[in-house]
Amino acid sequence: MATVFAAYAWLVPALPLAAFALLTAFGRSLRTTGAWVAILASLGSLALALLIAGERLAGAEDYSQSFNWLAFGTATLSVGIDVTNLTSLMMVVVTVVGFLVNVYSYGYMRDDERMTVFYAYVSLFLASMLGLVLADNLLMLYIFWELVGVCSFLLIGFWYHKPEARDAAKKAFIVTRVGDLGLLIAVLLLFWYMPGHALDFTSIGNVFGNDGGAISAGITTLIALLIFLGAVGKSGQFPLHVWLPDAMEGPTPISALIHAATMVAAGVFLVARTFVIFEASPAAMATVAAIGAFTAIFAATIALAQNDIKRVLAYSTVSQLGYMMLGLGVGSVVAGMFHLFTHAFFKALLFLAAGSVIHAVHTQDIREMGGLGSRMKTTAWTFGIGALALAGIPPLAGFWSKDAILAAALERNPLLFVVGAVTAFLTALYMSRLFYMVFAGKPKDDSHAHAHESPAVMTAPLVVLAALSVIAGFVETPWYGWFGEWLTGEAAHHAGYLAMIVATAAGLLGLYLGWLIWQKGTIDRKALAARMPGLVRVLERKYYIDEFYDLVFVRSLRRLGYVLRAIDGLVVDGAVRLVAVTAQAVGRLNTRMQSGQLQGYLLAAVFSVVILVLAVAGRRLW
Amino acid sequence: MLEAIPVLSLITWIPLAGALLMILLPTRNARALRWVAGLFTAVPLVLAIWLYAEYKPAIGGRPYEEAYTWLTVPLSRAGAEGIASLELAFDYLMGVDGLSLPLTLLTGIVSMMALLASVHIRKRWKTFYVLFLLLQTGMYGVFLTRDVVWFFIFFELTLIPAFFLIGIWGLEGREKAANRFLVYNGVGSALMLLAFLMLVATAGFTATPGAGGDALRFSGSYDVLLANLSGSGSQSMLASDPIFQLSDGMRWAAFVLLVIAFGIKLPMFPFHTWMLRVHAEAPPSIVMVHAGVLLKMGAYGLIRFAAQLFPAELREAADVLAVLGVVGILYGAVLAFVQKEFRLLLAYSSVSHMGIVLLGVASLNDVGLTGAVFQAVSHGLIAALLFLIVGSLYERTGTTRIDELGGLAKSVPFMSGILLTAGLANLGLPGLSGFVGEFLSFLGLFESMKVLTVFGVLGVLLSAAYMLRGVMSITFGPQSPRYDGIKEARFVEALPMVALVALIVLLGVYPSLLTGPMQPSFDPLVEAFKSGVGG
Amino acid sequence: MTLLGSYLTLAAVLFCLGLYGVLTKRNAIVVLLSLELMLNAVNLNLIAFSKYGMIPSLTGHVFTLFTISVAAAEAAVGVAILIVFYRRRVTVNVDEFDELRR
Repeated sequence: MATVFAAYAWLVPALPLAAFALLTAFGRSLRTTGAWVAILASLGSLALALLIAGERLAGAEDYSQSFNWLAFGTATLSVGIDVTNLTSLMMVVVTVVGFLVNVYSYGYMRDDERMTVFYAYVSLFLASMLGLVLADNLLMLYIFWELVGVCSFLLIGFWYHKPEARDAAKKAFIVTRVGDLGLLIAVLLLFWYMPGHALDFTSIGNVFGNDGGAISAGITTLIALLIFLGAVGKSGQFPLHVWLPDAMEGPTPISALIHAATMVAAGVFLVARTFVIFEASPAAMATVAAIGAFTAIFAATIALAQNDIKRVLAYSTVSQLGYMMLGLGVGSVVAGMFHLFTHAFFKALLFLAAGSVIHAVHTQDIREMGGLGSRMKTTAWTFGIGALALAGIPPLAGFWSKDAILAAALERNPLLFVVGAVTAFLTALYMSRLFYMVFAGKPKDDSHAHAHESPAVMTAPLVVLAALSVIAGFVETPWYGWFGEWLTGEAAHHAGYLAMIVATAAGLLGLYLGWLIWQKGTIDRKALAARMPGLVRVLERKYYIDEFYDLVFVRSLRRLGYVLRAIDGLVVDGAVRLVAVTAQAVGRLNTRMQSGQLQGYLLAAVFSVVILVLAVAGRRLW
Repeated sequence: MLEAIPVLSLITWIPLAGALLMILLPTRNARALRWVAGLFTAVPLVLAIWLYAEYKPAIGGRPYEEAYTWLTVPLSRAGAEGIASLELAFDYLMGVDGLSLPLTLLTGIVSMMALLASVHIRKRWKTFYVLFLLLQTGMYGVFLTRDVVWFFIFFELTLIPAFFLIGIWGLEGREKAANRFLVYNGVGSALMLLAFLMLVATAGFTATPGAGGDALRFSGSYDVLLANLSGSGSQSMLASDPIFQLSDGMRWAAFVLLVIAFGIKLPMFPFHTWMLRVHAEAPPSIVMVHAGVLLKMGAYGLIRFAAQLFPAELREAADVLAVLGVVGILYGAVLAFVQKEFRLLLAYSSVSHMGIVLLGVASLNDVGLTGAVFQAVSHGLIAALLFLIVGSLYERTGTTRIDELGGLAKSVPFMSGILLTAGLANLGLPGLSGFVGEFLSFLGLFESMKVLTVFGVLGVLLSAAYMLRGVMSITFGPQSPRYDGIKEARFVEALPMVALVALIVLLGVYPSLLTGPMQPSFDPLVEAFKSGVGG
Repeated sequence: MTLLGSYLTLAAVLFCLGLYGVLTKRNAIVVLLSLELMLNAVNLNLIAFSKYGMIPSLTGHVFTLFTISVAAAEAAVGVAILIVFYRRRVTVNVDEFDELRR
């Protein structure tokens, strides 16, 4: 089938960009109109993304187009777009969540006076994210990669007057930038090692895919690890995960859009996009799998002890992103991308539902909530569906994608499989904790008794996402590998029923245990906490990683700064001052010699003549 | 008709004409003075834009060269054999190439913006505008002349107005800052003069064979120097005379003198301390010009003389320059991180960013050189924008100390937004011009010095840390009630802000606009680096 | 030659005496007198060279006469300045002659 719509793929990011420009230029005079502009732009993008995806489902050719951005005598840097199955899938994910979040925000942000600014930022984010997805080369991807980072920064710090928001925004920007440096250096390396200085994904695929030895194994591993560093920063993998939970200071729709569904998944997308490089380096693959698995279980344990509804979800996001990395690390792009696809829907759903709760009760502390299920039925139901999907209960979406990852892990390394299964159990456990503490039981606070359901503009996106969370998994089941075939061209193999049974059992066990602890009360949680106070505190303090970073990096940098400032003042500037002081001293000495005494001058003159005569005579004698 | 217009001379001398005219105007009429100053700043800018658009040597466009002999001094023949006549010529040579063109345009833009921003000037307008116009003539001349004697004259011509502009209209510590400025730059000029004298005396001759022997003519033309130093100069029996050959030691001496002279101006670590005071004490509109253009004269001189005339020496010394660049980047960044005064933070940030220029020069390839010039132009625009806002904020709040400000986004959202954009541009956000310069410089250097580049890239991380710390402390967070009533930017302030932001975005999105004309000028230079032959 | 040598020695002795006087004496009059002594030492040299030098000639004589007349004029101007100075400051002590520095 011919490519009709793909040729207009550039419009997908261009529409939100135009909305951004419009809102920035005329923002103050528009209010709700501005919101409508942004919503319509994202709807346009969504429609076009769906048309392109539909075209690709019918088997259209890949489409790409590029222009010279910067030309040198020796090389050219280009910009261009690349429409493949992978990119069109991401486009659909981003535009679907983006559109729904835009609609939802219309209710959520209604009372904020800077609503148009919010929509401007969101539109810029959507444009950058779609640009990142469509980029046909690594440099362009890097450019948009930074731009989504800055949008995330702007939106985390949207409520600029809150010091926590300011600090969280700063932290998010700087921590992700550590990862970005890795990606930047990888770009530099690729530029000088790739034949013809090509940075586009097609050439990268050709060079690394043919293992022709154009680039040595060591350099390949280095490039892969540096790219992965970028992904670690963006996707909140250990040890750069610290910014993501803090990023929850931003408005909740943003947490759903950027910090759950799209931008944080960009790291996974990046690894998938450059997967050939990873495949060429077993060491890099092992690192990806190890970091992914560790992050998954590590973040899941922290999520168990958090009391802020959004932070629990944030750590859950970190954990699930670790899962995706695990899937990629064990060699299955399909599993990783599949989980990204399903996770985007149910995690966005969970965040938006949490936002609906926060909108109703004006607190984020789950210890103050309770009994909301009866008053907020739609929210509770959709949140429940999202939680079950996340916990991996069949036949919801999360089950199938998690199963795909576990099956791939089992094939590669049983240890990784065990870690994955334990994480699945922990996931189910903390999700049931969250659900029961928020929606079940009795209200803890009288003021929450009047909490009521959010308006339809907010619940409608919840329902849509809930539906997607139910059905999105059926595109790839062990019996029907359509998604994998479409994405990579080859059918993914499943390890049979073992992974499926273990995953289901772990999820159900977690839910049951959670039910026992937080609903039925069979297991006394206070006694449980009292038995291991150290562990609880370590989990609550998130393993003290923030404190560690503050001590090792921030303070030592500041101390170095003070030392250098002293050096700059005393030594560098001091050397200059020394020259000045010396010149002045010589001058002063000379002034003193000018006594005005004629005889003194004469004496000096006579001495000078004598010395001159002696010198001349002495030289002759020499 | 248009062909006959001496565009370069017009650009250079119109501000001087304006200054002379202004002396005749009555002092009291501030409005008229401002309009005249604006007119005489705008005309060269328009001409510079026209020049930028029309300059197309690759397709046989007009080369824009002007050459006149100003005066010649006959010298005694000194009894040498084979010399028919000997004269010292002072030529008036103007010309433009891919290196000077972007910087000329930058000068025009920044001067215009600074002039608009000079509404803060509260005393002695007339003197201010006269000096400001003189400064412009100096800056244009530095970039447009093609003769080292004139280069030196124009270079000095920028110092004196700048000295008075800092010393009279600056903040509290202005006199000390002005003194520092003059002493440091005076030393730099002295070294530069010494190097120029060495060059003119040995490599500045052209020999014309005649009946009674060669007619020798000494001048400071760039082309003559370049030709003689690269060994492709006048073919004369005298050319092989040792008097007209720079020995290796002399070559190195001249090279090092030039590097130090322009390193002070850039400023290169460890010659940066004078610049901190100037940034902190000079009036905002002058800091715009200073950080925006005057520092770039250092970058220009470094490429024009140190690199173009001594490529072999530069190749040898590239490691040292790159190390100095990286040290400057990191040193400036770490120090910026602990500053409490926003103007000093920006000053150290300039040290850091000029380190990147040095990296680009040390890379010895076209990517890096493009990066260096791009970085110079882009930093000029960004620094001008940052100091423009700093000036406007200072006028309203009376302070730019980070710990005394906060939450200004509430009362001045527009200016805060611009400040944030400028900060993001300064920390090298892609899509804005700062990124392109940094990226190309790093990309260029990475070819030869990988580990060093990685250290330099760390500066990018640090720049995010200090820029965000500074900008967010000022605009984010809770607002002190002291600043509740402060007013948003006036139109005359908002105009240059928006214009500069637009330029920064334009260059970030479409960098070919700037790099296009540069390329042909760098090709011979890169060839020279590769072959290692001087020239 | 020996005769020239003795003239020159005498002149040198005279010159040194004069120099000593110029450098050490406090009284300005004495300083002026010592200055004359030095000039006369030079005159003696000129005369000696014009008679016993390599190329004897009258030039030496002429120069001597010239020097003497200039010295006389100089002494006159010097003493005049001294008198004016004495009227103003009531001293002839050269240590207090530091107007230039003030």
